Amino acid sequence: MKDTDPRQDRLLRLNAALDDELDAAHRVELERELERDPQLRASLQRLSAVRDAVRRHGAPEAAPAALRSAVAAIGRPKAIWRRIPLSLAAAVAAGVVIGAAAQALLFPSRAADPVAVAMVADFARAELSDRPFEVASSDRHTVKPWLVAHAPLGVEVVDLADNGYPLAGGRIVVVDATPVPTLVYQRREHWIALTELPLSLGDGALEAREGTLDGFRLVRWADRERAYVAVSDVDAAELSAFAASFRAAAGVGGGEAR
Amino acid sequence: MISDAARRRYQAIVPPHVDDAYALARWLSGDPADAEDIVQEAALRALKALETANVERPRAWFLCIVRNTALTWMAKNRSKLLSFAGGADELAEIESVDLAEGEGSPEAILIAAEDGERVRQAIAALAPALREALVLRDINGLAYREIAEATETPIGTVMSRLARGRAALAKILEDKR
Repeated sequence: MKDTDPRQDRLLRLNAALDDELDAAHRVELERELERDPQLRASLQRLSAVRDAVRRHGAPEAAPAALRSAVAAIGRPKAIWRRIPLSLAAAVAAGVVIGAAAQALLFPSRAADPVAVAMVADFARAELSDRPFEVASSDRHTVKPWLVAHAPLGVEVVDLADNGYPLAGGRIVVVDATPVPTLVYQRREHWIALTELPLSLGDGALEAREGTLDGFRLVRWADRERAYVAVSDVDAAELSAFAASFRAAAGVGGGEAR
Repeated sequence: MISDAARRRYQAIVPPHVDDAYALARWLSGDPADAEDIVQEAALRALKALETANVERPRAWFLCIVRNTALTWMAKNRSKLLSFAGGADELAEIESVDLAEGEGSPEAILIAAEDGERVRQAIAALAPALREALVLRDINGLAYREIAEATETPIGTVMSRLARGRAALAKILEDKR
């Protein structure tokens, strides 16, 4: 390109001044020129009007939420699920500490599944917010109607206070465009979120499996009617124990009638 | 197989710039759905590159990937729509932009700038290389040397494109409709 033209040079400097890319010496020089030359001043004003117009109208709306979460998910390690045999879950529920034995139970890893990603994202968000639940109550007769009113799926609210997991409240999580009910239980200073999903969002397996994603623990299982995912930042043994308690309580009719 | 270290670098570098990446991809592709595809593919490329790359200026680095992804993506999927940035036709078009300082007063531009749709159409009408420089500067807010890095062009060319882009835009906006 012809860069010997002094007029063009001047215009490049004008743009550079506008972009704050001019060094001090050139800046002084240009300011002197601007004082002498009204046409140059008008040029600067035109260019700055153009720049402001682009800044004001050129930025599209923020990236769509789906893109945002897809981009975040790309960097996440894939969730790895492994089977917890019932006998072991029972042992855990009874407070038996598991160690190396669990390592032997490694289950082949599955692809990162959107349910786990959504659950963990929701849990992390709730942890950070001032309101970890949308309905705060330890009374299942308060929590259940609220959840039923806000999500199409029925919900089984199991009372686990006697097992050391008092109910703290409930919230709705959206998974794959479906609002699903989530119960929040308390374990000392931690929360355990238990989400009930339609079977279509489960992975078809009934037995309990534990997983880790982004440093959070998950346990998932299913019965004939729905799939369950528990998420928490308690350790794996504690979350397995919680899941075992929930399953036992729900299984022996501890759950509220639907 | 992607290492944990690469994933950690990815989380620090890529997600914070997704809005910038989307804005750039929107302007380079002209279509919101294409822009989403481009940004996702760029993110995958970034993750792979972070296995080895040493990144000094994360935003310019990622936007460079977005830009290159957009070019190959458009060439592959929208080849009929796109006149390639840097092609001979475009160079002629860029050269033809008059770099005169212009006679008009800023008022006409200020009035036209009230109409957001008109401004966006004017940006869309620019030659791709000029539009790209303008978007990286005024929308993504990159410094000249970062634009040079992202577009892999000398800084003098970046300056010239910006000047021409703004001159062309001023002219379009000053035109009475």
